[in-house]
Parts: sequence; C-alpha cells; structure tokens
Amino acid sequence: MLRYLLVLSMALVFQPAQADAPEGYPFLSFDEAMQQAREQDKTLFVYFGRYGCGYCEKTNKEAFSDETVRQVYTDNYVLAYVDSESGKRLQLPSGERITEQEVGTRYDAFVTPVFTFMTPEGEPLKRLVGVQRIEDLLDADEKVQSQIGGQS
Amino acid sequence: MIVRLRDLALLLAGYGMIAPAGAQPWEFNAPIEVTSVHGEGIFHHLESAGRRNIAVAGETVAISWEDNRQDGPAIYLSRKRLDADSFGSAVRLSETDEAYEPSLAAVGPDRFAVAWEEAGRVRLRLVDQGKPGPVLSLPDRQAGQASLAAGDGDAVWLIYTAADNGTRHRRVYLRRIRLDKGEPAAGEACAVDPEPLEQAQLYPTVVKLPDRSVAAWEDRRHGHTIIMAAENREPGSCRFAKPQRISEPPPGPRPPYGKGHGVTRVALAAYGQQRILAAWADKRDFREGYDIYASHYPGEDDALFGPNEKVQDPFGGVAQQWHPAVTGHPDGQRVTAWDDDRDDQTNILLSWHEAGQWSDDLPVPGASGAPEQNHPSIVLDADGNLHLAWVERQKTGGATRLRYLFGERTSDATR
Repeated sequence: MLRYLLVLSMALVFQPAQADAPEGYPFLSFDEAMQQAREQDKTLFVYFGRYGCGYCEKTNKEAFSDETVRQVYTDNYVLAYVDSESGKRLQLPSGERITEQEVGTRYDAFVTPVFTFMTPEGEPLKRLVGVQRIEDLLDADEKVQSQIGGQS
Repeated sequence: MIVRLRDLALLLAGYGMIAPAGAQPWEFNAPIEVTSVHGEGIFHHLESAGRRNIAVAGETVAISWEDNRQDGPAIYLSRKRLDADSFGSAVRLSETDEAYEPSLAAVGPDRFAVAWEEAGRVRLRLVDQGKPGPVLSLPDRQAGQASLAAGDGDAVWLIYTAADNGTRHRRVYLRRIRLDKGEPAAGEACAVDPEPLEQAQLYPTVVKLPDRSVAAWEDRRHGHTIIMAAENREPGSCRFAKPQRISEPPPGPRPPYGKGHGVTRVALAAYGQQRILAAWADKRDFREGYDIYASHYPGEDDALFGPNEKVQDPFGGVAQQWHPAVTGHPDGQRVTAWDDDRDDQTNILLSWHEAGQWSDDLPVPGASGAPEQNHPSIVLDADGNLHLAWVERQKTGGATRLRYLFGERTSDATR
C-alpha cells in the first residue's frame, strides 16, 4: 500500500512532464512492473502512450474511466505505463539499461496508444492498437485470462 | 504469399513506376568491430542528443559510447587511423559514477572533445592523441542530454539540458568551452530561450557556423512534442532570437482529442556555405508510425528553417523509422541515416541529397540483413568519405556489439 501511495504521489508530482496515464490506476514504470509481475507471477498490462497523445486521452475518458474496467485491470494485472518518446532510463531484469522510448521501439509501439499483455518475462500475449472501448478492454481481458488459464 | 518490400520496390522500379537511384556515392568496406569487449550481459549504447557519437579529426576516426563492461554504465572512446584495419583499445573517460549519453566533436588533428552525463552533471574531457585530459564538470544541477559542436578551433560548443530555476522542467543551455588554456574552461551558460518555461525542453543539439550558432531541441510547450530552433547572430553574447517551430503540424483540422502529433530527437549538421540540415522522427501520419522528416536552414524571409521534407522513400511508409542521424560537407553533400524495419528486420538505411531531392533509400551493405542493426551515427570526412557506427544484436534484447563501416566516396553526384 505504501508503495502504491508513493508511486501515486510521484505520478501526481511529475505528471505534467509525462504522457497521460489514466487516473486512478496503480501504473508503475516498466522495469518496476516487470519485477512486481515476476514476484507475484502475474501478467503485465503495458500501456504505450506519449505526451499529448489524442487517442490515449479518448481511451482514458471513454474506457478506462469505467469502474468495471478499473476493477478488472487492477485485480488481474500488474500495470506499466511507457511514454514512447521519453528518455527515462529503466533497468531490465536481464541487466540491460534501456529508455522508455527504446521499450516502445522494441515492442513496436509505432502508434499510440498500444496496449500489450505480457508474461512477467516480457513475452507479448496479446496486443491492442489504437482507441479502445470498454467492451474491447473487457473482451481482451477475458481472452487473456482464458489464454493464461489454458496454459496453466 | 509474403512479398518483401524491397522486392516490391525492385519490381516497381523495373516497370518504371519509381525512379531508380542515382549513382551510389560511396563504396563500402566490410564492417569491423569498434571494441572487442562484448558478450553476455554487456550492452553498448549510441544514443547522445543529436546522435554525434563518431567524428573524424585529421587522419583519425573516433567513436564514443556507453557500456556496462565494468558493471555500471561508463563512457569509452576508441580511435583508429583512417588507414588502419582496426580500432585501438577503448579508453575510459567517465569517472566513478554512472555515466550516460556521450557526444563527440573533432577539435584538431587526432584531438577530440567528449561530453557526457555523470552523477547529474555534464562533464567534458579532451582526448589528445589518445590521452585523456582533466575532467571539466559543469556546475548545473540535474544536467544531461549533452551535444557537442566543433567551434573555431580554440573552443567547442556544448548544449545540454539542466534543471530550470523556478520550475521543475528541463531547460536548454549553451556554453562555449575554451580549449586554449591547457584544460577546458566553461564560458557563461546561455539559455537559448530565456522566456519563462511552461513545459520541458529536451534533447538539444547545435551547429556553430562562422558568425552564428543555431540550436534545435524537443519542446513540449504546446502540450505535445514539437521541434523548436533558435539562432544567435551575436558571437560572444547570450542573445538568441525568438525560437521558431521547425516541425510542421499535419494538414487538416485538429483532432478533437489530444494536443497534437509526436516527434522525437532532432539532429543537425552543417553543409555547404552557411546551411544546416535538421532531421527528426515525426509521427504526423499517425497510422504509419514515425517517419523521417527534414528541413533546411535558412528558410525563406524570416523563417529560420524551410518547409518540411519527408526523407525516406515511399516504401518506408508502412514501416517504422527511428533514430535519425545526419552529416554534411562543405561541398553541399548532406546525408541522413536511420534504422528501419521495412524488410521485417531492423536495418540501417541512408538517403542523400541528389539533384535537389532525397535519394531512394539505401540499405547499407554490411549494416542490413540479419541480425538486427540500429542506432546509427554518421560523419563525412574532409574528402567526402562516409563513416558509420551502429549497434548490432543477434536477437532482440540480447547482448550488443559496436560496429563501424567506411564508405569511400566514388562519385560527384549532383547536390
């Protein structure tokens, strides 16, 4: 809880210099999220956005504002937010030092937003490109949960 | 059936649907390694603001980079005489703290200046005939994103970002660094845009012309990232003219959501007489990801830069382009390099100006095909030969190697 509050307060302090993540979600940086996903053996949900991204704003307002979406995504995933134009430095579990922009390049975030479900090791499971509606996000969650359940 | 884009291009060229490339201006040697230190867990980075990681000083070419061979990230430089077959041992330039994003400039025969970020400060060091001199540490707090430009022989121009007094944003500063006193000495820090900051200024770079300096950077004042530039025509003063936007907005009505499209990482190079090329990655066509765009200084009337041009050829449209680097020559030649995944693998591509337009894109022999190649840095030497450095990996996320390629000038293509 303390960690969540710390991350939330950091996000509030520095938010204007970053791209826009939806409010009310415990988004972490990509490397922190990978670490937490490994520790908790949970699936990652990575939001690739950028500063001033219009379709991110639309998706935030029209889909991530939904309480069911908030509950499902907060419960089922470790959430990571990546500003695809940011030079913020991250340290991957492999020891590789990488920037947020390079994470976006590696996962082909050539448009924003891109949403990628990943294993804790960073292997993509499913990808959503562009504006998403409430039903798109809930449907994707069902499919990913079914995929994970089928693998276990 | 999967049709590779390059094959499609060749097919269309055969039917006369696109213009064939003119004479290729360089004949490329086989690539060589910049450093023999690589392997599991070692990651090399060429990622300075302005992408100036390679320079030629007289008969010597040098490359500066960051890697983690000694646990933490540190800055290294390696040199090679132009007629030698291999690079010498890497010299470590950074001190004991984590160090990032080195930028390199040639300042005399076999004499180089390197600036980098270390422990939240920008540091600079001269390397004269392979021997590193004393370290200059700038006083600015939370500083980084350094980019160096060669000056008048007795100085280099160092542009960087640092914490702005009064806001929590980064601001761009430029300093003249004197090199004529035995050890580098920093001049006054000049804000290239002295107005109060509303948002961050990031990843600057600068060109020094005989009577002026021109700076460009990423700017977030409009709620999205744009490329801005400013010039100073009063050598010895800090007075920059009001900055102007270089990256143009896309045509048509503004979309109802968001503030505007994205751009990243501008690079500048002088060419011809008092002319400058700027190139950056630009997502104005949001369906196709980043494309490489360019603009030329000076523009018409009061415009600092001219209209934007798309550098890549039409076959790059559905692929992604990243990491543009530029170089120029006093004879008018100018070149842009970037990495590009149009052929389902990441290759280094080049385009150069010929007959008043950008050439068809050239996948660089030795820097294209499997495995993965990216993060180019380029420079033309006095004879117009092209020098290229880049990062290579066998697999995504795997260990890296630093590679170098020499392209011998072969023609006098129309500029």
